[in-house]
Amino acid sequence: MSANLDGFIAAAPRPQRAAMKLLLALACRPRGAALLARLPLAQQLARSLIALGLYDEPSVARALGWDADAVVARGRELRRAEGRP
Amino acid sequence: MAHVPARGGRMRVHAGERRLDADFCVVGAGAGGAVAAAELAEGGARVVVLEQGPWHDPNTFTARPPQMLGRLYRDGGQTLTLGSPPILLPLGRGLGGTTLVNSGTCFRTPPHVLERWARDFGLELDGQSMDACFERVERALSVATVTPQLAGANAGVARRGAERLGWSHGYLRRNARGCVGSGVCVYGCPTSAKQHTGITYIPRARAAGALIETGADVREVVVQGRRARGVVARDDRGRRLRVRAPAVILACGTIHTPVLMDASGIPDPSGQRGRNLSLHPATAALALMDEVVEMARGVPQSFFVDEFAQHGIMLETIAGPPAYVAASLPLDGAAHAAAMARYRELAQIGLMVSDASCGRVQSLRGRPLIRYDLDEVDVAKFRTGLGRIEQLFDAAGARDLKLLGFHPLGTARAHASAAGGVTDGDLAVHGVRGLYIADGSVVPSALGVNPQLTIMALATRLALSLLSGESAAVVSQPSQERSPCPS
Repeated sequence: MSANLDGFIAAAPRPQRAAMKLLLALACRPRGAALLARLPLAQQLARSLIALGLYDEPSVARALGWDADAVVARGRELRRAEGRP
Repeated sequence: MAHVPARGGRMRVHAGERRLDADFCVVGAGAGGAVAAAELAEGGARVVVLEQGPWHDPNTFTARPPQMLGRLYRDGGQTLTLGSPPILLPLGRGLGGTTLVNSGTCFRTPPHVLERWARDFGLELDGQSMDACFERVERALSVATVTPQLAGANAGVARRGAERLGWSHGYLRRNARGCVGSGVCVYGCPTSAKQHTGITYIPRARAAGALIETGADVREVVVQGRRARGVVARDDRGRRLRVRAPAVILACGTIHTPVLMDASGIPDPSGQRGRNLSLHPATAALALMDEVVEMARGVPQSFFVDEFAQHGIMLETIAGPPAYVAASLPLDGAAHAAAMARYRELAQIGLMVSDASCGRVQSLRGRPLIRYDLDEVDVAKFRTGLGRIEQLFDAAGARDLKLLGFHPLGTARAHASAAGGVTDGDLAVHGVRGLYIADGSVVPSALGVNPQLTIMALATRLALSLLSGESAAVVSQPSQERSPCPS
């Protein structure tokens, strides 16, 4: 799990935090995944979480044309050049 | 800029308790609180603003969704309603409140909504008086219409479909200055182009002498003898902080204002507090196009279709980076990977419903418990709206359509009668002198459009009314010249 996804989960209210950790733990194990397959909503939530982390990885996102570091660098440059807050 | 000493912050320490005296204590620094604080401070009042969240330095913005959700949003953006279906409520936390993390869309309150408020709630918010407040806010926030170039190709898809179908549409008005279309308004604008209240009204309030305390968790509004006397809070170091003020403005937001009022034991003679919650529930649809869209290049929310607004359905483009799309795609395994491999060709349109459904906020051990069930009327609006999006995408040349799935208002609604609402039309809490509310909780019904401008205009109207009206007696210094905003 990426540090960013870790932070996202840590910021959640306690019930959601526990539920997300459980879903991720289940999704990573064959028997857990089989259990999730019988719970479509829980399975969808687990997959959404995994996808959020995976597609946030810079190399994966860059391959799809999204470079967060470049967006941030351009923002910093504009703020510096124009004296924005 | 000359340094102006904080007039709202005559601080003393008494028996380990920090004490501040002010004319106005404003709780919350979002759309309502920041606006009220700046107007009052510039009018000569001593103002203390207590904000629970921090100041977010734009240098820490990373344009990466999970990280920014965890930092900028209350509960990491995972505030959830209980009911059918459960709905996520993205609420900002920090100087700027939800204006820090919204898309920046600015609509004035529609005239038919103001007419309904007058008819059903006895609120005399005529167009002329509100217009003056809207103009004042729009000037402060540099509100302007998005250009087609800046709107990006995602808006271009929606425009093409709307034009072919002959549907009413347009580019949205936004509070942005020097925007370059970074595509991440809701994850912290990296260019500080979005004019959220944390970089507009809060600096103005501070420059006019207001004291801004971040990390201040207000525990109680002190009311004695049916009169507000101030608040008690914990500061960012856990110390007890008491602000003594003859006027308190609650601006904690629709979800948290009723919870704080409950915690403070403030009477609720109407029984309306926490009730009448509307949310503007929303969903979105993605479509695979035969062209490169690159939805995150440009302003994510930049174009609207209001053809069905009279039926409570508003379509607005929305967009985001791959992580955002990947998390919301309702596909599995290979199908998900295949769709994401064509992320560049995905277009997205959101659907917002002006809800008739009614929820409730209650306090559970000091935390809000939000109940909300979507009723059949609103479910029907979603079915209709999704059908309209499909038509729009078809007309724009979409090859495939995948469906996936917000503005809390009304929990301290304004009503001319003390039996019908929590505040009166001037946003004064019925039955408690010196206590006011300036956030979405006073908005008595769904608007059908994004609400930030309505909240800001109401806060402006409240502040100017306090400075010029009966409450002027609590202002310690004479008002400076200001443009009129008749109440």
